[in-house]
Amino acid sequence: MLDFAIYSITIIAVWSVLALSLNIQFGMTGLVNFGQILPFALGSYAAGISASLGYPWWIGALAGLIAAPLIALLVIMPAQRLAQDYWALITLGAAEIFRLTVLNAPALTGGADGLVVPRFIDPTLAMSVALAVLAVTFLLAQRISSSPYGRMLRVLREDEILASTLGRSPIRYQASVSVIAWMMAAAAGVTYAHITGYVAPSSFTVTETFIIWTAVILGGPGRNIGVIFGAAIIQLLGVSSRFVAQWIDLPPDLIANLRLASFGLVLVLMFLYRPQGLIPEAKQVHDAERN
Amino acid sequence: MLSATDITLSFGGFKALRGVTIEAKPGTVTGLIGPNGSGKSTLLNVIGGVYVPDSGQLTLGGQPLPLGRPDRVAQAGIGRTFQVPRLAHRLTVFQNMLAGERDHCGERVADLFLRPGKVKAQERQASERATAMLKRLGLGHKANDYAGSLSGGQQKLLTMGMLLMSDPAALLLDEPAAGVNPVLIEQQVALLNTLRDEGRIIILIEHNMEMIADVCDRVFVLDGGQVIAEGTPAEIRGNETVIRSYLGQPANS
Repeated sequence: MLDFAIYSITIIAVWSVLALSLNIQFGMTGLVNFGQILPFALGSYAAGISASLGYPWWIGALAGLIAAPLIALLVIMPAQRLAQDYWALITLGAAEIFRLTVLNAPALTGGADGLVVPRFIDPTLAMSVALAVLAVTFLLAQRISSSPYGRMLRVLREDEILASTLGRSPIRYQASVSVIAWMMAAAAGVTYAHITGYVAPSSFTVTETFIIWTAVILGGPGRNIGVIFGAAIIQLLGVSSRFVAQWIDLPPDLIANLRLASFGLVLVLMFLYRPQGLIPEAKQVHDAERN
Repeated sequence: MLSATDITLSFGGFKALRGVTIEAKPGTVTGLIGPNGSGKSTLLNVIGGVYVPDSGQLTLGGQPLPLGRPDRVAQAGIGRTFQVPRLAHRLTVFQNMLAGERDHCGERVADLFLRPGKVKAQERQASERATAMLKRLGLGHKANDYAGSLSGGQQKLLTMGMLLMSDPAALLLDEPAAGVNPVLIEQQVALLNTLRDEGRIIILIEHNMEMIADVCDRVFVLDGGQVIAEGTPAEIRGNETVIRSYLGQPANS
């Protein structure tokens, strides 16, 4: 039971980092990124490829943290001239292109079989590393959220034209927040690769992006602590469905599909009845006395 | 001096502006009037960088202004409001005001993480100015309300306040009095007079002729994408062409 708790906390921490990274893009800035699994995959594969080439872990980590922001800028370059709706299509497409490329370049990536990555032997160590990455990400996200930078990101979310008539270039903010968010997700990816000891294309499908989205929408877009809460609920739902499968005798593949369907239901219900999420974005109240 | 020279702009086959030239001097209020669809807002959008004109030049203080770049026009010192107020609705009134702060070092990621002291100092200064400005606009008690919860008139005042946070050399105001109650209109007239006395350039689109007569030093009348008259409010009132196309005759004459 303790092992299970440690495993659950580890997984929740990794997915919380992903949820935070989507939150600063979507929740704060309004960027619809339907390919947030891409930087996660970049981090994982950076760890995997560098391990397969015999480099130490930190080379892989560094490679992931450098590749993700570069690819971020490459992906959003065409979005600069397009309306925000197109961000969804471009990011979705980019993530799929990467997954299919990985699948079809077995010499470097192991193809569908994936790559073996050195694993944390001690589950407690794995949990500690995941929690440390989460802590750093959370502090960064909080600093952004409460800063003048975060305020301008929110102005962009509300009205891009307003931001530009205030003298701000929207794409500069969108690019910088994407770079930060993608580095966060890449860090989660590197951590994840060393936790599972294995990376393969099947871990980085559109479904995974959809799971990150569900966590953000459920927890509260724009609220860091909210999306961590959302990620925890979604992951606990995920791991507990195994026990449900044992109690009520249903085939595992049906359970897996039902799990996804339940995430979809969560999304629909949240959009309809509580679009602000379980823990909504906080009002930033100015205390005149403090000045 | 802010000048737009020989501006033309077509949307498909429709010629919205046909060689419009206007000038606005510092310390004056310049009115733009004319029937709906005459090109007033389009002209303001060209000056503000929202539209790129097919031809023509824009200059501020003799320097050419960038075309089609609202952010750079704003950086050059031209602030504008819209007919329908643009605000960050889900931020408080106070947060909206702070967003008007120009060159905030706290919006640069490097400064944010490496120079927190500098960020805090600028934020404090901006907060003080925002507090003073909100008091001046009569919105002090609304500071912590969501901007989206304000009435239409208050929203227009707030957008003025956001602009003034950046201390612009020129203001482009699109119908600041439309849908605003008489008390708030008086307040806006007083504010415009103060801004003029501070030596700013003000260009104003307005259908409220009383306001035009009260505050404008010079008026340009547009019709069909062309300037059909220019002069003081009194001259414009007596101009036959303007009466025919826009002002109309009093019912009892």
